[in-house]
Amino acid sequence: MRTALGALCALACVAAPLPAQRPVDPMPALISRALDHENAGRYREAALAWQAVIAAGSVMPGVYGLERVYAMTGDEEALLPLLDSLIPHHPRDGQLRAAQLRTLVAAGRNEDADAAFRTWRSLRDDDPAPYRDYARVLLFHNRAAAADSVLGEATSRLGSSRAFLLEAAQMRAALGRWPEAAEAWREMMREQPYYESAAVFSLGPAPADARDRVRTELVAGDAPIGARQALAFLELGWGQPRAAWRVLAGLPPTDTTVAVWRAFADEAEQQQAWPSVRDALVAVHAARRQPAVAERGAMAALRANDPATALTLARVARRSGEDVRAELLGIELDALARMGQGAEAERVLANAESAIGANGTRGFARTIAWAWIRAGNVEKARAALADAPLDADDAVAGWLALYEGDLATARRALRFGETNSSDAVQALALLTRTRAERSVEIGNAFLALAAGDSVAASDRFVRAASSVEDAASLLLTMAARLETARGADARALPLWTRVAESYATAPEAPEARLEWARALRRGGDLRGARGQLEHLILTYPTSALVPQARRELDALPAVRAESSS
Amino acid sequence: MIRALCCTFLLALPLRAQHLLVPMDDAQANHLKSYGIAFGALTDGVRSEWLLNYRGGSFLLPDLPGLRRAALLAGVSVEPVDEAGLGAIRREIADGNMDAVPLDKAPRIAVYTPPQSMPWDDAVTLALTYAGIPYTAIWDDDVLATDLSQFDWIHLHHEDFTGQQHKLFLGFRDAPWFVQARERDLGTARRHGLPDIPTLKKTVADRLRGFVERGGFLFAMCGATETIELAIAGKDVDIAGPATDGTPMDPDGDSRLAWARSFAIEGARLEFGGSVNAMSDIDGHQVNVPSRRQPLGTFTLFGFSAKFDPVATMLVQNHRAVLRDFYGVTTSFTRRTLKPGVTVLAHEEGAPWVKYIHGSLGRGSFTFLGGHDPEDPQHSIGAPPTDLALFPNSPGYRLILNNVLFPAARKRPLKT
Repeated sequence: MRTALGALCALACVAAPLPAQRPVDPMPALISRALDHENAGRYREAALAWQAVIAAGSVMPGVYGLERVYAMTGDEEALLPLLDSLIPHHPRDGQLRAAQLRTLVAAGRNEDADAAFRTWRSLRDDDPAPYRDYARVLLFHNRAAAADSVLGEATSRLGSSRAFLLEAAQMRAALGRWPEAAEAWREMMREQPYYESAAVFSLGPAPADARDRVRTELVAGDAPIGARQALAFLELGWGQPRAAWRVLAGLPPTDTTVAVWRAFADEAEQQQAWPSVRDALVAVHAARRQPAVAERGAMAALRANDPATALTLARVARRSGEDVRAELLGIELDALARMGQGAEAERVLANAESAIGANGTRGFARTIAWAWIRAGNVEKARAALADAPLDADDAVAGWLALYEGDLATARRALRFGETNSSDAVQALALLTRTRAERSVEIGNAFLALAAGDSVAASDRFVRAASSVEDAASLLLTMAARLETARGADARALPLWTRVAESYATAPEAPEARLEWARALRRGGDLRGARGQLEHLILTYPTSALVPQARRELDALPAVRAESSS
Repeated sequence: MIRALCCTFLLALPLRAQHLLVPMDDAQANHLKSYGIAFGALTDGVRSEWLLNYRGGSFLLPDLPGLRRAALLAGVSVEPVDEAGLGAIRREIADGNMDAVPLDKAPRIAVYTPPQSMPWDDAVTLALTYAGIPYTAIWDDDVLATDLSQFDWIHLHHEDFTGQQHKLFLGFRDAPWFVQARERDLGTARRHGLPDIPTLKKTVADRLRGFVERGGFLFAMCGATETIELAIAGKDVDIAGPATDGTPMDPDGDSRLAWARSFAIEGARLEFGGSVNAMSDIDGHQVNVPSRRQPLGTFTLFGFSAKFDPVATMLVQNHRAVLRDFYGVTTSFTRRTLKPGVTVLAHEEGAPWVKYIHGSLGRGSFTFLGGHDPEDPQHSIGAPPTDLALFPNSPGYRLILNNVLFPAARKRPLKT
């Protein structure tokens, strides 16, 4: 990092010679030769070359070059005699003075560094540069406490600390004084809002128990928008995307605010925090009414499982646009399907038919069918597919058959169907497992699942278990999974227990033991959890779940260090 | 294949075999937990044998239901062996460079580790915890005030016994954990009437030396290896820089170091550069000095005669002979600084340094392993600890666990 900093300084210096110097020929050939040596790791030659650059009059590039080279060879102190000879000729040159401070601190010559700082400081009482540069050097070397002293002295001598807000913010963060760091960053961004990224980088490592104070300080009083943006980005980094959006949500919709909302949406999109992306884009759209924003917001809403907002935004975008576009229509119909609004979906599609044509309409037949399925209306779903007949092995036909309890047809049709949803995986597993041809209970259970009613689905899977005996353990497991997924351990535990004990040789038995153990652990029964995990490992040693069970067994309280005192 | 089937159907066998073999070659599913099974057997009073150089250093246990259960729970592969099979194994051992060492008693283990969690992991406590081997945590007060002979084995990791906190003040002097550690050590020094941290740590180092001299076994890794040597040799010399104790290092320090007292090192030169993050020229890799840092290679375990050098053989039992090297604040030991009587257990071919050494002092012995974490070659401050569940077959961690089990071996007179 130090080397990188030196390199940046050197580049700046090549571009702009010292103001106090007469313009000199930068001697590009000399500099180029020195850089070549340095880049090739020929440090002895590089040092000689940089000395030649200085001798030719280009002082600062040469000093920076030597500083880098000596850092690589561990001879930092070798720069000091040179600086001692140059500084008397340029006593007010901040770059030389800063190089001297960097070198002395890097060499651990702290008393000499203090003396050099005091000498520089004495040249002009009201110059903040010595304080700022010395504090930066100390911070760079993780000497935050020493930097704190320097900044404190600066405040008392110059009468204000505002010139050192950036250093103060970094120093306090390095010392773990998180609330004070947040306060300094907030004040810093009042005048220079573009420091919000630096603030996020500095405050990001704040431990969980310090974050509430950081939150409070960053947005205290009439905090500048940069501070709010920093907090929002911090919240995203801390895994709190909803809280992140709340920081920005109430701001008046100025141009600056809208730009911040857009940036937030981009960042949240990277993290796939779809509810927050949706909210940000809704706010942007409310302020600027741009169809592209509405469409992007509609897609985010769909991904956030919020079809109602997706529908609203998609319609706004569509109304604003000139033509009906299939992508936008697809979002609208998908939203309607997820909401189970089959009739409305059919109406929207009918209205769009003139624009997208008959073929385009048929392309959405499956979506319409899904809309009806979501509404629990299999007949309408079939009707929606009337003009777009499905192949016998079309997955939608298979699903319709499954919902009607026609397991034989479903088995044939779903055999090669898509399996990227958990519903599909479960259906295929069940159809493969049982030889039953028909089961209305199973159809009703999957229909309830499709409609998002997991409680009803669970009950129906349990009921089906009594009639479809060859898949009873799987049906009970499917019900138990649903209960576990919604956090209903009280309903899940009896089901897992039943599978584990009554169907001990079934493929689901190891999973039941594992889930049984997890439920016991969540309930605080660690001994019981250990018993179930051990039972799983010992009884089903070839199960694919054994490694996981071992890991969870290791995670239970085991060997502990004892204190000898 | 046959071995795999044996393992798979182990529980299904209606009759018990007389013995269980814990293979430690590539047939083993979890090498690290195997040591825990062997250690657990010893804790329960069950005698076992360590079959040196036989299939990677296997363990032979009696076929007891509790052991089968423990092995299965831990995911450790075991193979049933009847008397005829055991006879064949013993014949193979007798004919080759192998030996069977009885394991009698679980060693009492102490780990010298600070009560305050530091921002780096400790490979030994990770290995012990993962293998399920219990240990007692001790720190300066315990070393200074309690009878260390209650332990058979003491482990040191990463401590700086010169009292300079590994010169981390160069980069972390204001970090809360660094400040807290310094205040803690200063408080301990004052409690024991000692003037500063270097004096405290040198006193602790001397106590640990006494523990070995009276028959204890010391295992050290990373920076503890180099600094305990400097602390013991420099007992009466100011070897700490002014940043630590306020006084400069003794400029004649090199010539005043009493190497006759040290474990394995002699003739090393101190690092006098205050801004150079190194302690001496003992470490060959110097990872924290950019201009001197040497790249990582691989290191090779030496083969010893199991029948004539059982101790050295135990310490190098492994299913790999060549291991990937790993950095630590002390990564290796330069050959030039090794005492003549030290046994080199592993080295890097062609390099002027070695990785793993063993020797005796008084009635006890010591083993030093350079580097910090065998499965995280460049472990840095603040990095999360290694999850050993992801490395159940780690050959590097096996070296640590060899040391844990080594004191359990029944002492036999060395034949060399």
